[in-house]
Amino acid sequence: MQRPHVARLAAILAAAALVVSACGRDEEPAADNDATETTVADGGGGETAAVFINPDTECENYEPTKGITGDTIKIGNVRPASGPFAIFGKVATGLETFVKATNDAGGVKAGDGKTYQLELVSEDDAYDPAQTPSKVQKLLDQDGIFAMVGQIGTSNNLAVRQTMNDACVPSVGLATGSTQWGNANEYPWFIGGLPSYATEAAAFIEYLKTEQPAAKIALIYQDDDLGKSYKGGIEKAIEGTEMTLVGEQPYNPLAETSPESKVVQLAGSGADVFFVGISGAPCPAALRAKPGDWNPLTYITITCTSKTAMALAQGKDEGVYSTQVLLDPTNPEDAANPKVTDFRTRAAAAGMSADDIDGGITTAGWNFGALFVRALELSPTVDRATVMNTLWKMQDETFGLLRDEVKVNSDGATDPWLIEDLRVIKRGGGQWAAVTEMTSYEGTSNDLAGPEE
Amino acid sequence: MSEFFQFMFIGLGNGAVYAMIGLGLVIIYRATGIINFAQGEMAMFATFFVWTLTEVGLPLPVALLGGMLGGAIVGTLVHQFVVRPVGNPHEKPLAVVIVTIGLFLGFNALAQLIWGTEGKVVKPLFGNGEFNIAGVPIDHQKVGALAVLALEAALFYLLFKKTKIGLAMRAVASNSESSGLCGVPVNRILMIGWALAGAIGAVAGTFMAPISALDANLMQGPLIFAFAAITLGGFDSFVGAVVGGLAIGVLTDVVPKYVTFVDKMPLAPAFVAILIVLLVRPEGLFGTKKVARV
Amino acid sequence: MSAPSNAAPSNTAPSNTVAARALRWGPLAVFLILLIVLPLQLDKVWVNKITLWIPLAVAALGLNLLTGYNGQISIGHGALCGFGAYATALMINEWELPFLVAILLGSVFCFAVGVAIGLPALRIKGLYLALVTLSFATLFPQLIEQFSSFTGGTTGLAVTSPQEFRGAIRDREIKFQAPEWSGLADDQWRYFLFLALAAGCFVIVANVARSRVGRSLVAIRDNEVAAEVSGVNVATAKVFTFGISAALAGISGGMIAVYNARVTSGSFGLALSLAILVAVVLGGSATTMGPALGAISVSVFETVIKPELPKDFLGSIDLQPATPLILGVLLIISVLVAPGGTVGSWHHLLERLSHRSPSPTEAPNPSE
Repeated sequence: MQRPHVARLAAILAAAALVVSACGRDEEPAADNDATETTVADGGGGETAAVFINPDTECENYEPTKGITGDTIKIGNVRPASGPFAIFGKVATGLETFVKATNDAGGVKAGDGKTYQLELVSEDDAYDPAQTPSKVQKLLDQDGIFAMVGQIGTSNNLAVRQTMNDACVPSVGLATGSTQWGNANEYPWFIGGLPSYATEAAAFIEYLKTEQPAAKIALIYQDDDLGKSYKGGIEKAIEGTEMTLVGEQPYNPLAETSPESKVVQLAGSGADVFFVGISGAPCPAALRAKPGDWNPLTYITITCTSKTAMALAQGKDEGVYSTQVLLDPTNPEDAANPKVTDFRTRAAAAGMSADDIDGGITTAGWNFGALFVRALELSPTVDRATVMNTLWKMQDETFGLLRDEVKVNSDGATDPWLIEDLRVIKRGGGQWAAVTEMTSYEGTSNDLAGPEE
Repeated sequence: MSEFFQFMFIGLGNGAVYAMIGLGLVIIYRATGIINFAQGEMAMFATFFVWTLTEVGLPLPVALLGGMLGGAIVGTLVHQFVVRPVGNPHEKPLAVVIVTIGLFLGFNALAQLIWGTEGKVVKPLFGNGEFNIAGVPIDHQKVGALAVLALEAALFYLLFKKTKIGLAMRAVASNSESSGLCGVPVNRILMIGWALAGAIGAVAGTFMAPISALDANLMQGPLIFAFAAITLGGFDSFVGAVVGGLAIGVLTDVVPKYVTFVDKMPLAPAFVAILIVLLVRPEGLFGTKKVARV
Repeated sequence: MSAPSNAAPSNTAPSNTVAARALRWGPLAVFLILLIVLPLQLDKVWVNKITLWIPLAVAALGLNLLTGYNGQISIGHGALCGFGAYATALMINEWELPFLVAILLGSVFCFAVGVAIGLPALRIKGLYLALVTLSFATLFPQLIEQFSSFTGGTTGLAVTSPQEFRGAIRDREIKFQAPEWSGLADDQWRYFLFLALAAGCFVIVANVARSRVGRSLVAIRDNEVAAEVSGVNVATAKVFTFGISAALAGISGGMIAVYNARVTSGSFGLALSLAILVAVVLGGSATTMGPALGAISVSVFETVIKPELPKDFLGSIDLQPATPLILGVLLIISVLVAPGGTVGSWHHLLERLSHRSPSPTEAPNPSE
């Protein structure tokens, strides 16, 4: 009864398909602006040897100035705006405010002499790495951005690393310190915006060498790339010292209700140093979960140092250690610093709330924007390869809210980490205070990283 | 050994929260026959009311009562305007599930919009002190949670078994049409059920928030454990919710410490327990067997 | 749990006027034409968006078979997709199988998993089964974490093949390459490959639903005891259905793995399970085209409506964080307005238009 219909239907469809397939779609013209136009790739000064990326030989369909229309540079960003990890989206808020503040101040004066306005296009991937590729694709193909800035999430970045590198599109200032980003030789279009977590661990171990040379360390670490970077960094740094890792517990915030039982387990290990390598609300929870009779020297990751996180510790933040690279707008010592006053005024004028200014999370995003702008300022021409190459040969630079003593140096082939100067801080009376000088780990971040798992 | 007891009590403390949410789930199931996917999010929402009241200066116990009232109102509104129009859940089970999923998404996003994404501080209702019993430190808060749980379960039990409203609820759950014909104000009874569930959610959240932080994701994990609790204990049993919740809490916090095979799978011991129980007793440990005419 | 169907079995003579036939088959024809024509006309970004709808449709097809036709509620299909995705990824990584072969083998693995779940499910009924499968969906990412040595844990697993890159052969993420003879671009080729695979699944399931097997599944759903008494081997049917349903979810997962060239456990948890369930109900459960339409409805929201939401709503409200709220409201409204899903409402409309007693539908439709 239904068969004749099906056959007829199939015939109609087949005919339709044949007719229609004859008219294809307008293919995007393959990038005509190919090799011959990228004359500036050789650094515009005959320093061909010093250039890290050579798009002529490395890129198919390289589009050097895509995303630049007239005097506007379009940049993109994918962040978690909805869902359980929306708190990380605050970083992007900092970036958005920076872009607005920069535009309000007249724009960026780039190294080619022109002044540019920035346009930021943001997409939401709800922190799900399965959604990131399509959002990034939309930004690249539909919005046609020049570069990504301040991309959030290690797994999210990993999900698009190959695509973006193959397409020769820069991702500037990744919002993660995972040791994965030390591989600039294979993925030269990705450059991290945070210090390596392993370097951070090494900085703390360095401090311990003077304070507690025979430390017995208990580690609670997030069961993902962030935590494993810390673990690898600690293991590497204590080699050859008297320190030992006497207890380690992974923690999965998605599967476990609270870190309490893991902390209790670690307390039983007899450690006198407690390293908290977890980000988010479980970090202050771990501080509160310390049994009353266990008082180890406690370290928390740099990602846990914000005002909100410390408030959640309900008093148990007193005396904890961490590291610092940025100026702290809420610290009276830094309040007079011109970079801080500039941040406060411009951010407030651009509409950032007082809570966000003080919160400590938005400053990271602000900094990524500042990094990108600094690269533009130093670039002799504004095209993708030149901007990246500029980032790969920074010398004693600074940007955004980096502390005055921090010097940014990079070399694509041998020193792919921008921020390698850290100082150890200690919490007291609701404020952070330095306990060491700014120490440089220049050029060593890749060595400090543990083995890649 | 002391460590084992510490784990036990951590598990009991967490389990008390799962059980409290479970009680809310059981109330709604007994009154309406629905599993309310949005129970956790409604609880989170009510907890934000509690927090807001503490921010205004009220002491926590008073704020909690205020939050319970707020939760009750939210529950009532949800029933009147969202659940009731869908119709009889026995006829359209999937439709009702989808509606509660919609509420789940909605409340979560609404909380984020209203109160932002940063974690808020809620202090423990019973303070930060600890008992020291035979060398084992046990938080006051955990003991308090267990006491409050017992109180809630007792109150609900008394409500259902000894009061007229409880009788009316059982009638409505058994056969709403006949109950209506007998003069039971069916809709009002259903509303009361949802209101109670909303109120108890505030209590659950107030005990959950100090464990981590109060944000929109407060109940995402605990809700799953609460589902596991009532599956283990039986959808229509208050005792089942309590026993189930505590059991799930203990299984989740204790077993992975000693069985390395599941050390990264906290839910696994609970899952296995549920499977075993259901295979032997498909209606859960304390659930009532359904008898239907074929 | 569900009301008896209200449609007469399909042996009363259908209205044979041209108008009636056009109404019944027209939308399907238009839909199929669009499926084939659109990717040829749209640009790459859009083709990729519509490619992603296909795995969701296949997963919904599987769930529909289990829940819609057979009445076993599962809120764990996301995990089954995950099994398929990881199986496919590992097979491509370790054995360098062609994508299609890996996906199909992955679905065989999922069939076994489905049967393994279906066996205890014989004892566990109704909402209890729903919650057990929900726990399973939550357990899946933890399972991946436990065996992270070969699953990559939370960082994820890249799906790679040895490719030449910068002078050396390395393991790089897989890419789709359209063969010369097709004259299609890579993204179009991928779309049609997925479409063909999905179409095959849909045709098979449609035939099963129409057959004696299909009717016995529905009989089990509506009254298990009566079915058993009538000679249906209930246990075999239920377990087998679980297996097939899982196999379809496995194909879906395999497609996702191959599309993203990366699998992460977080993508296959509760959220995906709920999305599949929503797709089934919105489309119209126990119908042939329901899963496809439901998947499109869900995806349209995620890929079309959500990105286009205005950033500046009423001044300074960023609507992006509100998207789940909007989705929640839409879900509630659509259930209230169209409880039978898209297909159910369409049939309802047809009934009203033809001014007569209910016309035969493709399969007995439970009044939802």
